[in-house]
Amino acid sequence: MARDVLVLVEHSEGKVESLTSQLLAIGSRLAKEMKVELVAAAIGHRMENVVEALQGKGIDRILVVDDPGLALAGGEVQAHVFAEIGKQVEPRLVLVGYSLVGMELTPAIASKLRMNALTNCVNIELRDGVITVTRPLFDGTIHAQIALEENATAVVALQKGPAILTAPLAKKAVVQSITIDVNSIPSRSRVLEITEEPKGDVDLGKAEIIVAVGRGIGDQEKIHFTAELAEALGGTLACSRPVVDVGWLPRERQVGASGKSVAPKVYVACGISGAIQHLTGMRDSKRIIAINKDPNAPIFQVAHIGVVGDLFEIVPALTKAAQEAQTR
Amino acid sequence: MNIVVCCKAVPGLVTDLKIGADGKAIQYQGQLLAINECDEYALEEALALKRSHGGQITAISMGNIKALDILYYALAKGADKAVRVDCESQDPRVASNVIASALGKLDFDLVLTGTQSRDTLGGQVGIAAASLLGIPFAYAVVEVEARENNTVKVRKELGGGRYAEVELMLPALLCVQTGIQPLTFVPPARRIRARQQPVASFSLADLGLQVDQLAPRGYRFIAVRPPERTHQVELLQGSPQEIATALLNKIRESL
Ligand SMILES: Cc1cc2nc3c(=O)[nH]c(=O)nc-3n(C[C@H](O)[C@H](O)[C@H](O)COP(=O)(O)OP(=O)(O)OC[C@H]3O[C@@H](n4cnc5c(N)ncnc54)[C@H](O)[C@@H]3O)c2cc1C
Ligand SMILES: Nc1ncnc2c1ncn2[C@@H]1O[C@H](COP(=O)(O)O)[C@@H](O)[C@H]1O
Repeated sequence: MARDVLVLVEHSEGKVESLTSQLLAIGSRLAKEMKVELVAAAIGHRMENVVEALQGKGIDRILVVDDPGLALAGGEVQAHVFAEIGKQVEPRLVLVGYSLVGMELTPAIASKLRMNALTNCVNIELRDGVITVTRPLFDGTIHAQIALEENATAVVALQKGPAILTAPLAKKAVVQSITIDVNSIPSRSRVLEITEEPKGDVDLGKAEIIVAVGRGIGDQEKIHFTAELAEALGGTLACSRPVVDVGWLPRERQVGASGKSVAPKVYVACGISGAIQHLTGMRDSKRIIAINKDPNAPIFQVAHIGVVGDLFEIVPALTKAAQEAQTR
Repeated sequence: MNIVVCCKAVPGLVTDLKIGADGKAIQYQGQLLAINECDEYALEEALALKRSHGGQITAISMGNIKALDILYYALAKGADKAVRVDCESQDPRVASNVIASALGKLDFDLVLTGTQSRDTLGGQVGIAAASLLGIPFAYAVVEVEARENNTVKVRKELGGGRYAEVELMLPALLCVQTGIQPLTFVPPARRIRARQQPVASFSLADLGLQVDQLAPRGYRFIAVRPPERTHQVELLQGSPQEIATALLNKIRESL
């Protein structure tokens, strides 16, 4: 009988990803309300540090597959191993981080386990005993609430949300090692290597003020308006993904799920709608200022200060004000 | 190399979104359907692969009659053939089953889909279809290199500026990220000419599928509405100069 809550652990270099820690915080609350166990599945090679880091997070059982064949495993093999664990646990819910890795694994695991897949969720909770998820539609302008039926099981992929601070929990997880013959898993793909984006000359991570430009700028010729604002404020210019995709700015300036994560003192978003993959990369900024002509743009859900208006009016005016303040 | 590209027709502004009677689906009359952004990039990648390695490109779209426009657009861009699967559903399980069945009827070495459709934001259909077909897959692909030995080498995003180089045996399915190739412009004359080309059509019966057999199970929609605000945003008003002065003060006090 499907019961427990199973969290799939994402880790790199012996560290548990912050998104996984969020899932565990959410999962331990859910498991308690559902009166079931919270189980974590961690797979990879040389897993001691990861397993150690998982203690104190409210987990009842940690299932570990530690195998050299998993050091550089691709989606096919990882999905197979997680599905094998899933078959043993028979969970009611599998929680996965909606990272780029989770986006590849979720549909594959759900398909192998014949479970429903609910992706890109921003919330999961028990409402009057019913498991309910919230997920954005249409670029985040609409949120849908979806209720899981009583006997149904689901793999739920959750977006990174605002940081959840939890004190370490005393409960000690039982660690259980599972042996799976990784080499005999049928696979028609293999990972050759993992590479890093070459370091460019900007370090968005260090910037105290970021001026970020989105597709709303409309034209490469107009990027200079935002570049000038960044300069006048003593900040750094960044952007959303579409601006890089069309070649207006280099990839190293991209903020978001597939770019950099930043948390400056001030983040000024100009002509950025605030898609969830952008928000993930900047929502921890201390003060978020959004300039957007659409009052329903999801960026206003995270912004502290908003201007509903034309960036071509506001940005040059702000640049001028900042320049005047400097010379005074 | 024969390539199938999955192209979804997605609406622009939607104002009439509602939940269907049984709670199983959302419904809307999307106006102004366009090709899903990453699917257009997938099509550009297929065209680039065809230029260097030859072969045929088939564009496939599952949807109602309005999806034809997107297929004509794909033909105008340079696809050789187009197929519409007559099925209207926004459920990812239905879509992946139907698309996998349709792919089973086509001859391909490589299937390209996008990463995510802009209306449902699911990001599921590509990998789910690959799983059903039992072929290797890669998500968020930003580079594709076709190799001699019936494999492709791809570069895919892992997030945070990390990438994986993956080798896949063909046939394989790749979910293509935006930005993989520069988008090319299609002259209006070509778009008009493309409308003369035939588009094949598959019904669910042709694929041996029944709608009720595909109906989503296990969950239902209970509400669709604008997102709840977790905190109140302070909206500034006034002339651009007034707003600029206020913003500058706010920025300074944050430092
Ligand atoms: C796997 C995956 C990973 C992704 N990773 C990232 C990522 O790392 N970073 C990222 O940013 N995106 C990422 N995306 C893309 C993301 O989903 C959105 O498509 C993207 O963030 C939208 O960028 P945007 O806000 O600039 O453009 P749009 O969504 O097109 O928004 C443009 C905005 O500009 C406004 N505007 C237009 N003209 C004006 C004007 N004159 N004045 C003021 N406002 C104006 C409009 O109202 C609109 O809100 C990813 C997507 C996927 C599927
Ligand atoms: N109805 C459809 N017709 C053709 N391709 C589709 C359809 N639905 C999804 N896809 C493909 O699957 C990708 C991911 O879609 P989704 O899972 O809906 O986010 C899209 O980018 C398309 O390439």
